[in-house]
Amino acid sequence: MSKKSLLIMPEMCSGCRACQVACKNWNQLPAEKTSMKGDFSHPPDLSGTTFNRIRFAEMPTEKDKFRWLFVSQRCMHCEDAGCMKICPTPGALYRTQDGGVATNKEKCIGCHLCLAGCPFNVPRYGADGKMAKCTMCADRIENNMLPACAKTCHTQAISFGDRDSMLAKARKMGYSKVYGQNELGGLGVMFAFKDAPKVYGYDENPSINEMVILWHKYLKPMSWFGIGGVAIASALHYFAVGPHKAEAPKEDKKEEVKQDEAK
Amino acid sequence: MKLNDFDMIRKEGPLAILTHWALAISCILLTISGFAFLYQNETIAMFFGGFTAMKYIHNWMGVLFTISLALTIPMWLKECLEYDKDDIQWVKVAGGYLSHKVAIPPMHKLNTGQKLAYLGVLGMGGGIIVSGFIIWLYPYSQTLMLMAHFVHNVCFIGIAIFIPVHVYLGAIANPGTMRIMIYGTVPVWWARKKSPKWIQEVEEGKSH
Repeated sequence: MSKKSLLIMPEMCSGCRACQVACKNWNQLPAEKTSMKGDFSHPPDLSGTTFNRIRFAEMPTEKDKFRWLFVSQRCMHCEDAGCMKICPTPGALYRTQDGGVATNKEKCIGCHLCLAGCPFNVPRYGADGKMAKCTMCADRIENNMLPACAKTCHTQAISFGDRDSMLAKARKMGYSKVYGQNELGGLGVMFAFKDAPKVYGYDENPSINEMVILWHKYLKPMSWFGIGGVAIASALHYFAVGPHKAEAPKEDKKEEVKQDEAK
Repeated sequence: MKLNDFDMIRKEGPLAILTHWALAISCILLTISGFAFLYQNETIAMFFGGFTAMKYIHNWMGVLFTISLALTIPMWLKECLEYDKDDIQWVKVAGGYLSHKVAIPPMHKLNTGQKLAYLGVLGMGGGIIVSGFIIWLYPYSQTLMLMAHFVHNVCFIGIAIFIPVHVYLGAIANPGTMRIMIYGTVPVWWARKKSPKWIQEVEEGKSH
């Protein structure tokens, strides 16, 4: 099956937050008590029960004194996913046939490492001590339905479909560059930004932390080399040089005499 | 007082034997489970009762490892920090491990390799313990978590190399060493050969 993507166009978003409600509705997530943190984003952050939220960013410019950007924040479903790289448990995070990164709570051991591996600061832990995030509505997609957020979006700021058709759509709308087309091997959530990604709260060049790369790409294979090398070296030593045999004095009188002389 | 070659002399006490077994068991279980986490190995995880159970075993074996490593400090650290010219010579002849023809300088209770290995274990063990507790108990800072994860893994490689070397040298390459881990005693003639300085001190009444 071909890879599918969400295409998000913040300029078309009216900030109605219906996608937040639809997400909670489909995933059966409870509402949470929100608080005012200086902007109109509610809830103020993603959480174990909030997989998608609209950030209300007031970004005035010289020309445009009133510029209010509504940007969806959720899992980006990276092709080169940092969370999957660092996760110690097979199957807790898995790639769906449509190219999304989904979670299996039963397999999650609650080690929190995915938090460190994610370049977008997305994974959150719920009260049950397990990681929870947007799954691109893997269960809906499998049944030929749209993800809940895309289904409910009345301005079509969120659309969903084959990756190529989503790219073609953005191009047709006049966006020559799509955020997520090539980032991290291609993101499953692509953004059509009018301005620099930074204005919308996204890194120009998102990347998995170099410590994770250094470990997984270079050092991890060396642990095999190390253990294998040691096993081979030990065997070679045993047969080439041989063990340090300490023989009982009766068979080794010369040494005893020498030691007596030394005294 | 001259010791009889065929008597037994106590090299390590019961606490040292117990501590070493605790270290050995916890370290091996930690390494195997850590290896399974690293390579997402379901077969190994199965023997631990799945990944969730393996996480708890890994964490609590880490506690046992911490306690037993801490107990070794008063027992061995002081001796492992004392070096003289015989130790330099020992390093020069590689402890006689590369050829049986070289003369090995006289050693105290522990030889230079053992002393350096202990410092290595203490250093890497310290790193893996501190980083392990950060990952377990304070996963809230991404930077700290990444650094701890990295240190944990680098120390893991070091320890994963150390264990087979240590087991090989202790159990296979130096016949007669293994019994210290069980009885704590060695024949005097054996100690005279491996640790002449120690035996000399015992005979002079300076040590026991």
